[in-house]
Amino acid sequence: MIQRLFQQREYAVALLLGLSVLGVALINPAFVSGENLGSILFNVVPFVIMACGLTFVILLGEIDISVGSLYGLCAVTMGIVASPERMGQPVIFAVAAALGLGALVGFINGALVVWGRVPSIITTLGMLTALHGVMVMIMGGDTIKNLPPGLRFLGTGHILGIPVPLLITALVLIFCAVLATQTPLGRRIYAAGSNPHAATLAGLSVNGLKLFAFTFTGFLTALAALVSVPVLDVIENSVGQGYELKVVTAVVVGGAALKGGRGTIIGSLLAALLLGMIGTALIFLKLGDAVTYWERAIQGGFILLAVLADHLARRGEHS
Amino acid sequence: MTPLVQIENLTKTFGGVQALRGVSFDILPGEIHALVGENGAGKSTLIKCLGGAHAPTNGRILVEGKPLLPGVPASEAAGIGVIHQESTAFGDLGAEDNIFVGREPRRAGGLLINRAQMRNETRALLSQLGENFDTRQPVGELSVARRQMVGFARALLQKSKLLVLDEPTASLSQRECQALFTTLRKLQSEGVALLYVSHRLDEIFALADRVTVFRDGAHVATKNIKEVDKAELIRLMVGRDVTEEYQSRAGSGEPVLQVNNLHGGGFHNINFQVRAGEIVGLAGLVGAGRSEVARAIFGVDDYQIGTVKIGGENLPKNNVRVAAERGVALVPEDRQHQGLVLPMSVGENISLAVLKNLSNAAGRDRAKEKALIQKLMADLAVKAAGPNIAAQSLSGGNQQKLVLGKWLATEPKLLILDEPTRGVDVGARAEVYRLIRELASGGLATLVISSDLPEVLALCDRILVMREGEISGELLRAAATPEKILELALPAK
Repeated sequence: MIQRLFQQREYAVALLLGLSVLGVALINPAFVSGENLGSILFNVVPFVIMACGLTFVILLGEIDISVGSLYGLCAVTMGIVASPERMGQPVIFAVAAALGLGALVGFINGALVVWGRVPSIITTLGMLTALHGVMVMIMGGDTIKNLPPGLRFLGTGHILGIPVPLLITALVLIFCAVLATQTPLGRRIYAAGSNPHAATLAGLSVNGLKLFAFTFTGFLTALAALVSVPVLDVIENSVGQGYELKVVTAVVVGGAALKGGRGTIIGSLLAALLLGMIGTALIFLKLGDAVTYWERAIQGGFILLAVLADHLARRGEHS
Repeated sequence: MTPLVQIENLTKTFGGVQALRGVSFDILPGEIHALVGENGAGKSTLIKCLGGAHAPTNGRILVEGKPLLPGVPASEAAGIGVIHQESTAFGDLGAEDNIFVGREPRRAGGLLINRAQMRNETRALLSQLGENFDTRQPVGELSVARRQMVGFARALLQKSKLLVLDEPTASLSQRECQALFTTLRKLQSEGVALLYVSHRLDEIFALADRVTVFRDGAHVATKNIKEVDKAELIRLMVGRDVTEEYQSRAGSGEPVLQVNNLHGGGFHNINFQVRAGEIVGLAGLVGAGRSEVARAIFGVDDYQIGTVKIGGENLPKNNVRVAAERGVALVPEDRQHQGLVLPMSVGENISLAVLKNLSNAAGRDRAKEKALIQKLMADLAVKAAGPNIAAQSLSGGNQQKLVLGKWLATEPKLLILDEPTRGVDVGARAEVYRLIRELASGGLATLVISSDLPEVLALCDRILVMREGEISGELLRAAATPEKILELALPAK
């Protein structure tokens, strides 16, 4: 049973998530109010969307830690193109520019890893730093204000009574889960991550799959910025900073093996929810002013626990 | 009968090393065709050419008269399935995903995979192979034999006309082997041809219709299995008779090693000497104290009383550094782990033990190092594309030579070899023997620890037999027989 819990990480994370919600609710019932749960969901939107993309990258045994800076740069690009105080272009252009930039940067990451043979941790660490530099250059100490209503709609609007960010997130989740489990492309990503050598012998293009995963992650990072940044009317110059750690944590805690071949979209989603809930839960537990420091320590603890659980689950298996 | 596969003048070179030298032979439909050869004979390269993983440098492969196009998918389409020696399974995925990777059945207009069809077909294929297990269980959790069956199922699925098996029994139990043979015969009766690569000659005589022998990348012979016997097959593989006669060599020189009245952990009252140019064998059962004596001489372990002299001078106890300085070298048994740094280059491995001598005020003396590496590689006839390729890419026999080379670079006076050919195939073994003899002829005193009686008899001028920590007897080669050695080695009743 315990073995099964380690092996099927989704169950372990779901269990932990359920117990935490229950525990905090017992201490402070206001935690499970519709308003609070809704705000938690809104807060995790960008992490869930980015984690969906990153799951495919990690399934292939690679990693992308540039998503934090890319998220910020896509947000700023979108704001500059759309804001009447800047370029004042139609919203559709802003959306296209952000999505195009995200996919392009993702593709460059993939190309450097695949053709440049630079380890992905180095490639994307470089990209993280470089993109942050570009953002500082563009923004200086400034902020972008007065986002046009069309753009605000992505963050605050409703379609069929459902908030747009939650709707998009749900669609991304369904799309990615189907992609991972029900399509040839998804199954090949699992295969290539599990045994790249054998995948090559089976006629798969491991490089092609990696290019796809990085490009897709870049695209989803831009999409995450599109539906979560316009929730507010202002784009700060520090937007997206540190997000990469939360996203990587979600995917790893959700059960994806850094060696590749293992991991699920549902696991990444559950772990993102768990991590997103911790910050709020700490406030509701009324532990005092130091809670924000605790949040990061707990996140880190989860990563270590996840890696340890992975190690335990793999022990005793053949090769 | 028209051949299923014709291999015509196939050549493959890797950076100057010819792995295949224009081999030609054919495979008939529905036959079991064995392929034998020592490590490094070119079998694996041929398999990779057939499977499409390597493109031949020259020559061609015809399948049913049509030239085989490059690439793995083309080979599969032509009906060639390869069950590789190393695991090519996707350990994290279930059997059904493993079998269908790259050719998934589709539904929903080709967008989605048809999992129900995958599962049903996988079950049908496995039951055809006499297997029945959960097709969703990650194959990394299955036994080796079952993983192999997944490989077969994959090959069956693509309707292979030729199945290539690379050492399929290497990690199977006796019972699993029998089950495998039953499966193979069944496949054969269904018209599938098999190219069966194995070192186990008994299997080949039990299974194969014909056998092809490779040596040094060249095709030596293709014969009906009924026309050959084991001895002839071995002779074809190594190119000479393996039961090499001991070659009596010129008389020996001054004593290099003198061991007097040595007592220590696991041995007592040890007295012997090894003269320059002499090869002395230390025979006996495992646990008789042979390795312990060697370790005491080299200074790895302490001993209680007695003396060890090198060139007439006392060697201090338990001091490897001084032993090495005075010219003692010990080649350990587990070469791949203790003897070589596999990811490092051939050249770096050779110079590793003598970097100190290769240094000058400015650091490493590259010219001197290069000269040393070139000389040793030539002396030892190491088959490698060059000094810069990784040691792990060499065949077992060549790695073996490299270990010797590493210690020879220290210019030892006494060379102690612990099980020098364990895990080395027959042909490379003969090469290693030739090398040891040559070194001895050049004046090196050699002490060989070996549990392999034919080895001791083929190599040594004099044989010391140890039993329960003592030297129970000494035999000159001319008087030694396997029976006499064994008699001295077995515990007295």
